[in-house]
Amino acid sequence: MGIVEGKESIERCGGNGMVFEKIHLRMEYVSPEGLRLDGRRPMEMRQIRAEIGAVSKADGSAIFEMGNTKVIAAVYGPREVQNRSQISNHALVRCEYSMANFSTGDRMRKSKGDRRSTEISLVIRQTMEASILTHLLPRSQIDIYVQVLQADGGTRSACINAATLALADAGIPMRDLVTSCSAGYLNSTPLLDLNYVEDSAGGPDVTLGILPKLDKVTLLQMDSKLPIDILENVMQLAIEGCKAIANYIREILLENTKQLEYRRGV
Amino acid sequence: MWHASAPRTSGMVGLSLGEKHFIQGGIAHDLRCDGRKRLTYRRISVETGVIPHANGSAQVRIGGTDVIASIKAELGKPSLLQPDKGKVSIYIDCSSTAEPAFEGRGGNELAAELSIALQRCLLGGKSGAGAGIDLSSLIVVEGKICWDLYIDGLVVSSDGNLLDALGAAIKAALCNTGIPRVQVAAGTSNDEQPEVDVSDEEFLQFDTSGVPVIVTLTKVGRHYIVDATSEEESQMSSAVSISVNRQGHICGMTKRGGVGLDPSIILDMISVAQHVSAQLINKLDSEIASAEAEEET
Repeated sequence: MGIVEGKESIERCGGNGMVFEKIHLRMEYVSPEGLRLDGRRPMEMRQIRAEIGAVSKADGSAIFEMGNTKVIAAVYGPREVQNRSQISNHALVRCEYSMANFSTGDRMRKSKGDRRSTEISLVIRQTMEASILTHLLPRSQIDIYVQVLQADGGTRSACINAATLALADAGIPMRDLVTSCSAGYLNSTPLLDLNYVEDSAGGPDVTLGILPKLDKVTLLQMDSKLPIDILENVMQLAIEGCKAIANYIREILLENTKQLEYRRGV
Repeated sequence: MWHASAPRTSGMVGLSLGEKHFIQGGIAHDLRCDGRKRLTYRRISVETGVIPHANGSAQVRIGGTDVIASIKAELGKPSLLQPDKGKVSIYIDCSSTAEPAFEGRGGNELAAELSIALQRCLLGGKSGAGAGIDLSSLIVVEGKICWDLYIDGLVVSSDGNLLDALGAAIKAALCNTGIPRVQVAAGTSNDEQPEVDVSDEEFLQFDTSGVPVIVTLTKVGRHYIVDATSEEESQMSSAVSISVNRQGHICGMTKRGGVGLDPSIILDMISVAQHVSAQLINKLDSEIASAEAEEET
């Protein structure tokens, strides 16, 4: 759909010398009316939805959706360290990221533990570790498992948001919630929360994770190149996105706590 | 929870002797820990169309067990031995969210066991004869083009009775599946590969009336139960999974667990399974119909 629109715009401005620029960019990601391929404004996030308690046996679990991206996170722990040689004075945080066979458009059979999954597991682990008060839980381990059910760009961010909710649901002491959001820069416009098509355009893609209350950045990744003054804008946009998500997550947690309170009859 | 004898390496706390006796005693008295009778199922809920870019998908929850099945159809070539039949393959994946023991390659063994059991229960023999899914309906041009159905199952949360849940999810996903209508270009000679035109607007509904359901009877002590939770499965001596279609015919069978069974008990189990499956099929059909109706609105 989007590709067709792009072609049309090439034809439309074919006469007035702009054709070069358009072909160079291949596709128009922001229409002249200021709308993106999926109809969002540049600074608009996809619809987010979260649900706590998706996995009954886990100590904490959550589903997090950002548009068509959908992930499940489950937290097991704090529990006894399984590998005795890893016992320490701090809690051991582990993370595994996996993608379902049907999560992407083309069906593929991927084995667990390929390079990309390993890298994302590591990123999620480090980001979550930064907010967990590990010194309060000596000689114990916390396992975070994230499963991607649908991938449509921004799986990293969605996984981190889901993991935060699951950790909070498991009652693990944290400094602050960690929330994550991505932002990019296409057609000279900073765009919030890239979807798969925008993500694969090859433009700059900044994934940011923050501790919203402490106002600290715990995760920052960027592909491709970007002038510094523009990076500042794009980062600011991503921070706004993270804060919006943090507000939503806080609402969900509050709602969940009220439900628990109600069930206990307090 | 799958193998009664296998040592549990996961973090789940093992059962104490008292708890074991409580579970066994409850089953003997026809009153299980959650208040069910021996042949009662937990609450089943079905949601269809959960994976938008698949041809069909469904999520089934039975108590604390949560599974997703997705179906993708791709054009392929039929095998030389069965030129008049399409191909169906079933792959199951156990997510580590369901159990920490499934981390890394830990879930592969159970996943393989489930895949094989489902293939046996739904696809019939090697020749494709007696399959619950009508393979000849998947043929486009005999000997040249057929549909390959890839059925992917994912265990998201496990609390026993995974096989029945996956069977139900696959049945629901097949009901939800639309296979694109294919136009074959006329006038190609016999040895050429014909050209096809796959419609992206017209979809054919799959005939699912013959798809069986799976009923697993788990033997604990002297009695057997349906829809065992993982605690109950840990106390089982053996389990028989029987797939039964709407006509009450047996489509496939698997026995698990180390302890031997008396042949007369197996025949007894089969007749119980036939009786239980009739209720299960009706329950599933109404759940699937309401899920489909909800998806359309």
